[in-house]
Amino acid sequence: MIARSLKWTRHNLFGKPFDVLLSLTVIPGVLWMVYQAVSWALTAARWDIIPQSLRVLMIGVFPADQAWRAWIAIVIIAILLGAALGCVFAFKGRHAGALVPVWAGCAALAGIENVTNVLLIAVTIAAFAGGWAVASRFPPVRKALVPASFIGLIAIFAVMAPPGAGLWGGLLLSILLTLVTAVLSLPIGILLAFGRRSRFSGLRWICTGYIEVMRSVPLIMVVYWIWILIPVLTPQFNLADVVRGMIGFTLFYSAYVAEYVRSGLQAVPRGQTEAARSLGMSEFDINRSIVLPQAIRVVVPPLVGNVLDIFNMAPLVFIIGLTDFLRAGQMILANPQFGDRTYEVYSFLFLTYFLVGSLITFVARKLEAHLARGSR
Amino acid sequence: MNAIVEMKNLNKFYGSHHVLKNIDLSVERGEVVVVLGASGSGKSTLIRCVNGLEMYQNGSLLVDGYPMPVEEDRRLGGESELAAIRKGVGMVFQQFNLFPHKTVVENITIAPMRVRKKTRAEAEATALKLLDRVGLTEHAHKYPGQLSGGQQQRVAIARSLAMEPHLMLFDEPTSALDPEMIGEVLDVMRELARDGMTMMIVTHEMNFAREVADRIIYIDQGSILEVGKPDAFFDNPQNERARSFLARVLKH
Ligand SMILES: Nc1ncnc2c1ncn2[C@@H]1O[C@H](COP(=O)(O)OP(=O)(O)OP(=O)(O)O)[C@@H](O)[C@H]1O
Ligand SMILES: [Mg+2]
Repeated sequence: MIARSLKWTRHNLFGKPFDVLLSLTVIPGVLWMVYQAVSWALTAARWDIIPQSLRVLMIGVFPADQAWRAWIAIVIIAILLGAALGCVFAFKGRHAGALVPVWAGCAALAGIENVTNVLLIAVTIAAFAGGWAVASRFPPVRKALVPASFIGLIAIFAVMAPPGAGLWGGLLLSILLTLVTAVLSLPIGILLAFGRRSRFSGLRWICTGYIEVMRSVPLIMVVYWIWILIPVLTPQFNLADVVRGMIGFTLFYSAYVAEYVRSGLQAVPRGQTEAARSLGMSEFDINRSIVLPQAIRVVVPPLVGNVLDIFNMAPLVFIIGLTDFLRAGQMILANPQFGDRTYEVYSFLFLTYFLVGSLITFVARKLEAHLARGSR
Repeated sequence: MNAIVEMKNLNKFYGSHHVLKNIDLSVERGEVVVVLGASGSGKSTLIRCVNGLEMYQNGSLLVDGYPMPVEEDRRLGGESELAAIRKGVGMVFQQFNLFPHKTVVENITIAPMRVRKKTRAEAEATALKLLDRVGLTEHAHKYPGQLSGGQQQRVAIARSLAMEPHLMLFDEPTSALDPEMIGEVLDVMRELARDGMTMMIVTHEMNFAREVADRIIYIDQGSILEVGKPDAFFDNPQNERARSFLARVLKH
C-alpha cells in the first residue's frame, strides 16, 4: 500500500524536473491555504450571523409575517425539482437515509430552537423526496412534468404576489428566476430553432436575426433594455420589476436554447424525415414526433448546462434594483452592526452557490449517462 | 389503362447536372419492376421521384391517379396531391430509417394513427398481424437498436405495409445487410410479390431480380436504355452497355 502510493507519488508528482518544482511550490502553498481557511472557520469566524440573517438571505425583504407564502413556493419548487431528478435518477431507500443529514444540516443552520422552521424544512425535504420517488417509480408521471412545472410556477406566482412582487428576493428569487427562465426559454427556443429552418424566408430572417442579436450582446444589457422598454410599450400594465427581469432573462436565454436545439436538429439524419414523409405524415407531425424528440435527446446535457448558466447569472438582476441571493448578502453587510462579517457572509454565499451548481452539474452527468444508455 | 405509375418525358436536374433524361415509364398494377444500373446512374432518384422525395423539373408523373406536381408548383405550395400520393405509396430504404426513439410497435402504428386516424387498438392489432407476417412477433416491444439489420429491415417493411399501400418502393433494401441476413428480407419481398403487391425495386441481387421481376428496367446515366422480360434481359441483352453491365455484375 505505502509502496504503491510512494510509486504513484514519484510518478505523478516528481516525474520530471519541472513537476518537482511545481509540486514543491504548489502542494505546500495549497496546504497552507487550506490550513488557514479551516482554522479561521473553526476559531476566528463568528457564524452566528448566518442563522440571524437567514431569512433575508433566503427571501430578501419579503415580510416576515407573510413567510408562509414563501414556504408554499419552496415546497412546490421542491416537488418539481425532485420530480425532475426522478426522471433520470432512480430513487432508492438509501437516498431517503441520505436526506436525513441534509435535513439536520439545514435545521442546524436555521436554528433548532425554532421548531416551526425545523418542521417546515422537514416538509420541504419530504416533498422533494416524494416528487423524486413518484417520478422514478411511475414513469407515466414524467410526461406530465412540463405541464406540471407550468402549473407549479403559476401557483407560486399566485401565492407570492399579494404582498407585492417588488418584495421578492434572496435565494428564492434566484431560484424562481432560474426556473421561470429555464421553463419558458425552452418552448420559445424550440420555436426559434424551427423558425430558423423554415422554408419561408421572412420567418427565417426574423429568427436568425433575433438569435444572432441576442447572442452578440451582454445579458445585463438585454435585461436593462427590457426593463426600461416594457413600461413604454405597455404603460397600462405596470409590470413589476421582477416580471420584467424574468422577461429579459427569458428573451436572452431563448436565443441560446435555440442554438442548442438547432445543433440537435442538425444531428437527426435526413433519412428520419424521409421515412416519415414516405409514410404520408404531415410536416408538423414529423417535426413534433420524429425530429424534435431525437434532437432534444442529443442536446439535453448542454441545455442543463444552460440552466446552471442562468442560475449563476441571476445576480445581474441587481442592475434593475432586485435583491437576489448575492445582493441580499451585501445588504446584510451594509448594516453597520454586521460590517465586520464580510468573510462569514461571503463564505456562506460561495458555499451555497457551489452546492447548487454542483447539484445541477451532477444531474447533467446523470442525464448524459441515462441518455447514452437509452439510445444504444 | 391500369397503370399505377405513369412517367412521361420526365426530366430531373441537380443544378446543371441532368440526372434523369426524358424518362417514359409506366408500371401496371400488380407488376414487379426491377430497376438495374451502375452506381450513380439515377436508380434511386428515379424511384424517389415516385413518392416525391425528389422533385422533378419537367415532364409529367401520375401516381395512383394523382398528378405529382413539378418542382416549381411544389415551391409555390401546391403540395395537396403529395399527401394523397404518399398515403398510398410505401418505401423501404437501404438504411432502414426506423425511428430509434420508438419501439417496433410504435414505429408501425404512428403513421396509421396520425395519417389514417385509426385508433390505437386498431393500429396495434394490424401491427401485430404484420409483425407475425414478417416473423417478428416476439420483438414487438423492443427498440430498433436492439434488433439485427435484417430484423430492422423487416420491421421497416411492416411499417410501410401498415399504411396499406398500393405500391411499394424498395431502394437497395439489402445493400446494408450482412450476407447471412439478406435471405430473410428477400423472402418477405418474395411473398409480397406473390400476394400481388405492385413493387418497384432497386437491387443488386441479380438472382432475386430475375426470379421476382415481371420486367427489368436498365438505366444508365439517367436514361432508360433497355426494358424487357427478365429472361430476355439476362440471357440476351440488346443494349451494348447493358451487356457490359451484366458481364461485370454477374462475374462476382
Ligand atoms: N443531392 C444531390 N445533389 C447533387 N447531385 C446528386 C444528389 N443526389 C444524387 N446526385 C447525383 O445524381 C446521380 C444519380 O444518383 P442516384 O443516387 O440516383 O444514383 P443510383 O443509381 O441510385 O446510385 P447508387 O447505386 O450508388 O445508389 C449521381 O450522379 C449523383 O451524383
Ligand atoms: Mg441509390
